[in-house]
Order: sequence, then structure tokens, then C-alpha cells
Amino acid sequence: MRLRQHLHSFSIVSIIVFVLVLVVFLQLFAGFTGEASDAWIHIKEYLLFDYIKNSFFLVLFTALFSAVFGFVGAYLVTFYEFPFRKFFGWAMILPLAVPSYIAAYIYGDMFSYTGIVSRLLRGIGIVSQIDVMSLFGASMIFALTLYPYVFMTVRSSLNKQSNEIYESARLLKVSKSKIWRKILLPLSRPALVAGVLLVVLETLNDYGVVKYFNVRVFSFAIFDAWFRLGDVGAAIRLSGVMLIFVFVIVVIERVLRRNKVYYTLQGRKRLRKALSTKAKVFGYMALGFPLMFGFIIPVIYLSYYSLLTYSKTLDMELLYVTVNTLSISVVATLITLFIALFVANLDRFTTSKFFKRMINFITLGYAIPGAVLAVLVSLFFIGMDRDLVPLYQLFGVDKTLVLTRSLAMLSFAYILRFLTLAFNNIESTYQKIGPSYTEASYTLGQGKLKTLWSVDVPMLKDGLIFAFVIVFIDVVKELPLTLILRPTNYDTMATKVYQYASDEMIHEASLPSLLLVSVGVIMIYLITHRKLKKRVK
Amino acid sequence: MKKLLLLGLMTLGISVLSACTLGTGNDGDRSITIYSERHYESDQNLFDQFEEETGVSVNVVKASADELITRLEQEGSDTEADLLLIADAGRLGRAKDMNLLQAVESALLEERIPEIYRDIDDTWFGLTKRARVIVYHPDRVSESDLSTYEALGESMWENRVVIRSSTNIYNQSMIASMLAIHEEAYVRDFVSSLVGNFARSPEGNDRDQAKAVMAGLADVAILNTYYMGKMAYSSDPFEVEVAEALRVFFPNQETTGTHVNVSAIGLTKHAKNVDDAILLMEYLAGEEAQGVFANANYEYPVNENVEAHELLSSWGDFVAQDLSLTQLGVYANEAAILMDEEGWE
Repeated sequence: MRLRQHLHSFSIVSIIVFVLVLVVFLQLFAGFTGEASDAWIHIKEYLLFDYIKNSFFLVLFTALFSAVFGFVGAYLVTFYEFPFRKFFGWAMILPLAVPSYIAAYIYGDMFSYTGIVSRLLRGIGIVSQIDVMSLFGASMIFALTLYPYVFMTVRSSLNKQSNEIYESARLLKVSKSKIWRKILLPLSRPALVAGVLLVVLETLNDYGVVKYFNVRVFSFAIFDAWFRLGDVGAAIRLSGVMLIFVFVIVVIERVLRRNKVYYTLQGRKRLRKALSTKAKVFGYMALGFPLMFGFIIPVIYLSYYSLLTYSKTLDMELLYVTVNTLSISVVATLITLFIALFVANLDRFTTSKFFKRMINFITLGYAIPGAVLAVLVSLFFIGMDRDLVPLYQLFGVDKTLVLTRSLAMLSFAYILRFLTLAFNNIESTYQKIGPSYTEASYTLGQGKLKTLWSVDVPMLKDGLIFAFVIVFIDVVKELPLTLILRPTNYDTMATKVYQYASDEMIHEASLPSLLLVSVGVIMIYLITHRKLKKRVK
Repeated sequence: MKKLLLLGLMTLGISVLSACTLGTGNDGDRSITIYSERHYESDQNLFDQFEEETGVSVNVVKASADELITRLEQEGSDTEADLLLIADAGRLGRAKDMNLLQAVESALLEERIPEIYRDIDDTWFGLTKRARVIVYHPDRVSESDLSTYEALGESMWENRVVIRSSTNIYNQSMIASMLAIHEEAYVRDFVSSLVGNFARSPEGNDRDQAKAVMAGLADVAILNTYYMGKMAYSSDPFEVEVAEALRVFFPNQETTGTHVNVSAIGLTKHAKNVDDAILLMEYLAGEEAQGVFANANYEYPVNENVEAHELLSSWGDFVAQDLSLTQLGVYANEAAILMDEEGWE
């Protein structure tokens, strides 16, 4: 009975998810079969090349900047001892709480003619205007708000590298640059590449920044084709081209890293060198710059304008918006974690090639940009609703679109998108624990689910909490999915901010933005300090 | 185990709770649903007053115009929307082409709204007007230098013009209006020469164009009148400064008139409360509502018996394009394609 051996709660849940992902993907291929529309021909002729070119350079610059910010920061806090080192150890993660689109609105405003930077420059007699609303500016903003992914992956990888290699190299009088080239960079490369990949995928997913700065990349193009040219077919074709682009990047990453990496917040005890005075100046600048521009300045800006505008923006609606945001995010994140837990368990013990491939496919979800996923999920649900009409009538519901644009649909999209993130974190924690406890429990005759709850989950606790926070922050920040798929009049903090900003009321957007950032900050503070306390023990 | 069960139950509880808070709209005896792009408090006050006068309550669904159109299309005959209220005649033209609107016959609407600001087939009716004007810095440009949109393509304006992206519907409609008036080659010449004079590749919104002029990046910008109003009454004192320093010029006064667009309302194809919906349309076009409705966004009322906001009046009267705005929808796609072809980013 081989079939029975393969069918258990873990594989069944995984297969269901697999089928759902597959069906959603099939929408994409269905879009390719139709005749090419005029809009698509037009796009291909005049715009496609620019979309590819801009996406390429945006990704390239963002990857470079975020690699530098994240790597140098992680290197400094791991290998050197200096005042406030511990503070930087967690504070460097804080920019993750600032959504890129909010940073874009803030810097766009600060550098505009009426903004503080231009005014200060004029005050000292410089009348030039720095153009942040460009491809270069956009990549800087992505790097400043997303580099913590690199910081976290690289730091945990550096933590795992043994001190001895470096000590021996130093004793052997190997030059500093050679240590970097021959030991540090090769050893950290997988982590660096994995961190940068997360940054790149988030960058391609963005819609807010590129829309506001008019940087014509793929996500911009998909919305433009759908809404301006009114052509869903062209939007789907663009999504297809974009997915090819994304898959190329993912494949490059898999080739570059080969073995697996993951981030944790735990550090090993290591002897840290003191920094010379000159190096200290450099060190504080290298740590201070991204923290300053990625977090401190945005928060000061938001606080200032929240104070100026709160009489207009602080109302009951904001309370509903907060409740909406928190409740949908908690629900979506928890379901995502549950599913990821099941998939990770299948991944641990299965020897079936089919299951392995299936899991690979499922976890591609994170690579699908929000705009594309939104198109696919929405088509999928409308189709499903139309099929389910007889069932609805059976229950006396006189409507066709029951599930379409419901919270279920939005949660579904969140789960598809963020499952990978949760899966990767849980899988990496499982690898640290190893299979022996679980196997012992199976041998003692405990069932799969019972073992999961009573053996695995308690041991996975830290990893689960970390995964929860990372996914939760991402759900709270998510804009394109929420914007397109949310139920009627259902506002979250992200859509509220976007709405104010697209009405050219950047200052009024400050209070909801500040709330959104605070949610992330609280989460980051809690997980980092939970761990810190433990380490002291 | 117990904890997990509790967590699961809590999750379920929250989802049920948040599902219940949805869609519990105002189910009075008579109510209508309006899909609206606007979100001004004064709108709600008008709807409240409307309810007081007629007993019809108004549910408002707010989202961006493109979102609302897409939603109407997807919902088909299942929609709850009776009315669609969005900016830009080009967009309404698209909604009409997608067969999302139906014709309304109302003597009151015909009397209150000038013919060119209504759809030729009566599927939508303009409620407020905005002009797309030239804004200039008086220190660097004298009023006598300015004449028409087309003149901004001349060599004296090289590197001196800013305007937002061609993906913006206001630009698309402006070019559509020209296509409706002139031969295609004429418009193509204009777009290509205008793009040649851009001081920078387009970025930001309309306000950012005005700020670029203030900053000296450019000397003239093309933008909608109401943004000058929004800046003049902004909570940011520096925006007020910009609005006060720059001047508004109505182009093409001697020729085809300044390009004007509208925010308009249409009865949806599958409206379930047709009579009450038309009542609201008539109310919003009436003298009582028009002033409040237009002033909320510093726009011109379409009803000619109602005066514009004092700031708008201070710019003086102007000649508008004598063009049925139905044409903006007709030429919308052609305009979008032409702008792409001529390299307007």
C-alpha cells in the first residue's frame, strides 16, 4: 500500500496547496493563448524594452547598495567591539518596519522645492535640486528600507563561521584585503546572495515607489496595461514576461549559493576586536547612514507631520483601519504558518522526488510579484464564484460574487505570497533541531499530528515566533495585493496611506504611516529583545 | 495542545467577527449605493442633507477610479452600485464603452448641465469642471510670452517645460481633446516638439510640476487648476508660498479654448434603484449642492448659476474648448498610443 504510506495530513495539505497554486498559475498560461491585442502589440513595440531595461538597472543598483549596507553592518557588529554595538545589532533591522513606498513619499517631499532639504540648501545659497524621484533615487530607497534582509542573513552566517580561521589567518600575517577576498566573502557569499535575493524580489514586487517616481518597471507596466490601456490580456502577458525575468534571477541565486542558508538572531560567543579611532569614525558612519536614512529621518518626519495634521486624520475611521490591519494580518500570518509547518514536515521526511519537486514549486510563490498575483487570484476567484452559483442558490444566496473580493480571497493571496517566507524560516529551524526527536516520537507510536503539536512545536517555538514576525510585518506592509483584492471599503493602514498619497496629501498620510511603522518597530523590538535576554542567561 | 486549540478558535473568531463587520451597510427603507472616487467630508454632509430631504440614504464605496471601473466590470449584473462618480470624461467614456452605464433622461439634468459637459448619449453627466492650464513664474516668464499649448513646443521653450507622465489620465484626455479638434499629424507634431522641450523626464504629480517651476528647474508647467487651489489652502505653509508666487495662464484663448475636463456621474447598467439614483444626480447638479461640491476640490461648478470659489474667480473668466467631452473617450486610446510613440514617458 504505497499510496497509503504517502497520504497523511502533511502530504494532503501540501497537495491541496500545490493544486491551488497550480490552478492560479494556469490562469497565466490561459492568458497567453488568446490573440495578441492591439495594446499588447503597442506595448511590445514601444515600451517593453524600456520595462526590461529599467527593471534590470533598478534591480542591479538596489542589489549593490543593499549588499553594501547589509554586509558592512553585519561585519562590523560581528567582528568588532565598540560602544553601542549591541544597540546597532538590533537597530539595524528597524528600517524593515518602514515600507518602501512610505520612504518614497517622505524623500520625494523632503527633496521637493518646498521640502526641508531644498530649503536648507537654498538657505546656504545652493539653488540646485537633488532629484530623488529617479531610477537611481528609487533604488536608494529600496536599498535603505530593505537592506535588513541582507544584514540578518549575513550576520547569522558570520556568527556561524569559526573564529579560528580568522585568527590563524591573522597570525600567518595574511593581509586584510586577502582575508576579505579569500575567506570572508567566499564564506558569506551564500548568505549574501540569499539576502540580496529577498531584497530584489521585494523591489520587483513594489508598486508604490515606482508609480510615484514614474520609474517604468514591470509592476508599473502591469497596472498601466490593465488600467490605462484597459487590457487584462496584455497585463497577463506582461506578467508572464516578468515571471521569466524573476525566474532567471531565482535560478542565478540557486546557482550562486548552492547550499542552504537561513537567518537567526543567535550569536556565538566570539572575541571581538576593538576599533581604532579612525576605524570607529568609519564604522559609525557605515552603521549610521542606513539607520539614519532608512529609519530615523522617516520617523522624525512622520512624527512631525502627524502632529501638524492629526486634527484632520485622527478619527474613528483610523481605529477601524487599525483593527482591520491587525486582524487580517494576524489571521493570514497564522494560517500561513500552519500551512508552512505542514509543508516543512513533508519536506523533512519524504523521499519522494515528486513531493520534493512539488514543494519547490509551492515555494516559488514569493517570487511572484504582488501585481501579478493579484491579477491571477482575482481571475481565479471570479471563475470559481461563477461555477459555484448553484451551490450558493442552494443556500438561498442570491448573488454570484460571494467569495470574490472577500476577506477569504485577500487572505488566500497573502498566504500564496508569503508561504515561502514562512516555510524557509521553519525549515531552517527544523534543520537545526534535526529529525531525531520527531523520529523517536514516531517510533514510540505517536501520530504525526500529535508529534507535531507536542514535540515539534515546543522545540520550534523561537523559529516560529521569528517567522511569525517576519511574515506579519510583510503582510502589514503589503500594498498591491491589498489594494486590488480588498473587500469593498475595507481599508488597511497600507491602503489608507496610499490613498492619501495618491490624492497628493502626503502630509496627511503621516499618521497612518507612523502607525504602520510602529507596528513593525514593536514586533522587531520584541523578538530581538526576547533573544537578547535569553543569551544573557 | 490546548493553547493551540485556543489560538485556532481565536483566529476563527476574529475572522468571523471581521467578516461580520463587512457589508453591514445602511439598510434603510430607501437607499442607493454610489461608487465614488471622491473622499471629502463635505460630500458626506451633502449626502446626509439629501437623505433628510428625500429619505434616501446613500452608501458610498470609495476607491480609485480605475479600481471602481474594473470592479463594476467584474461584478457585472451582481453589482450593488447604482451610480459611478469619477473624474475625467475619458474614463467615463471607457466605462460607457465597456457597457457599464445606462442612459438617463432628465429634464432637470439637461437644464442644469451645459450640453458639452454631458455625454452625447446621456450615460454620464459632468458635475464639476477643471481646466488644464499653464502655470508660470512671473520673474522668468512674462504673460505676453504665453499664448497656446502648441506654442510651448517652440524653440524658445527648450528645456523650460515640465508636465507629468503620459500615463496620467489628465494628459491623455488633453491630447485626446486635441485629436478631436485637429488632424493627427498636427497633434503628433505638437507632442513631439513638447517632449523635446521637457526640462526633465516626467515624474511626480501635478503639484510637483508647480514646485519644479518654483525651484527654477523649469519656467512653465501644465497642470489642473484645482491643484493651485489645494496648494493655496494647504496645511504646509511652503506650498502656500508656491501657490502665491506662481501665476495661472489660460492658454488658447484666441484659438480653440483652454482644455476643460469634468468629474462626472453615471447611472450603472445594472442599477437596482434607478429613480432614487437619478434623484441624487439631479440634487448634485442643483444650485444648492453645486457650490459645496465644487469647492471641496477647488473646481468650477458646471451649473452656470453657481459661482466658483473666490480663488478661481480671481483668475478671471476664460474661454473653454468648445468640444463635447464625449470626444475625450472616443480618442483616449489613440492619444495614449500617440504619446508613447512620441516618447512622452
